[in-house]
Amino acid sequence: MINAKNITKYFDDIHAIDNVTVTIKEGSVFGLIGSNGAGKSTFLSMLSGIIKPDSGEISIDGKEVFENTNVKERFFYISDDQYFFPNTTPKALKEYYGNVYKSFNTKRFDLLMKGFNLDENRKINTFSKGMKKQVSVICAVSSMTDYIFCDETFDGLDPVVRQAVKSIFAGDVADRGLTPVIASHNLRELEDICDHIGLLHRGGILLSKDLDDMKLGIHKIQCVFGTPKSKEDFNDIEILSFEKKGSLNTITARGQKDELMSRIQRENPVFYELLPLSLEEIFISETEVCGYDIKKLIL
Amino acid sequence: MINIDYRDKRPIYEQLIESIEDMTIRGILEPDSQLMPVRQLALELSINPNTIQRAYAELERKGIIYSVKGRGNFISGDIEKLRAERKRSVFNELHILCEKAAAAGIEKDELLSQCKKFFEEERGGKE
Repeated sequence: MINAKNITKYFDDIHAIDNVTVTIKEGSVFGLIGSNGAGKSTFLSMLSGIIKPDSGEISIDGKEVFENTNVKERFFYISDDQYFFPNTTPKALKEYYGNVYKSFNTKRFDLLMKGFNLDENRKINTFSKGMKKQVSVICAVSSMTDYIFCDETFDGLDPVVRQAVKSIFAGDVADRGLTPVIASHNLRELEDICDHIGLLHRGGILLSKDLDDMKLGIHKIQCVFGTPKSKEDFNDIEILSFEKKGSLNTITARGQKDELMSRIQRENPVFYELLPLSLEEIFISETEVCGYDIKKLIL
Repeated sequence: MINIDYRDKRPIYEQLIESIEDMTIRGILEPDSQLMPVRQLALELSINPNTIQRAYAELERKGIIYSVKGRGNFISGDIEKLRAERKRSVFNELHILCEKAAAAGIEKDELLSQCKKFFEEERGGKE
């Protein structure tokens, strides 16, 4: 389990991370989302013990990460701007990571290299950006660590490889309780693989929730009433937004499907329709409530 | 077999439940036949195994599947409850449809004859 408690980080006068507290349980797939500059990469760097938070604590299974090799052996960090040794080849990387990670699985590495059609003797600097990412992913899953931290890892991958990587992650989650932490600004990318989402915005964490609960607990209702209604008529349910266009009302409300439906039916609507929200729409509603101008966040 | 629509806004686990229920009602999944193991289905659909676990747990709670320790999940023989539930939801939809039809000025007889036509053509062709 990863525990971050009240962590704060400044870069000169830039407040990159502001008092973030979050818990990541093992065996779940945690999606870290947020706009550019929200602090995702900074957060992951601190999680991996590369930089030290100015205040607060980060621990993995109760042990402090910074300058602690025993803990560092338990995760693999795929940085966004990847660094490879000059003139190195995947084969050399295999030996390097084999020395660093005790449980490195050479067989798996070879198998995946073959599967992804990558030549292990070619110099990595001749690889394309996407191929480099593939090499990193292969190194990461072959290291057999308990955690993998991915910083925008899926972005450079083509759709076929992306599905393949997701499948590998899914298999490892099922087999050995791997915990991937995936940072991305692409909400749609995270919707199918993550079960837990944390939203960072301007250095602070807005919410951290189970994805399905999030989806089942909020709905959009389009309805037309015989007599005009206003937000005040629905004081008994939690309304996040109430918009009116002519006679058509669009209500975003918190609550389970059935209870919202019976609530609306009580008002004898001429027409009504209950729509689920996409991850994107959930964030618009959730953050509008927090007073954030979220429209910028959605790409 | 099981299809996930990524453009569908409903949670994936809800889609999974509906998909398995649907196949059970249609008889594609026969009683006591085994469901795909969580791991395998996760790999096939490239989705989170926890999501599938959750869907299976919900299906078990509803009595649509049962699990045998160490052997996996199986379709339960009792699909009558599921049929009854499905019937209710179809009638609900029909209710909305009838309201729509009435609003569009379609007469009762016209609607009924369309229904009749469906059963005569579709069912007649099959039997």
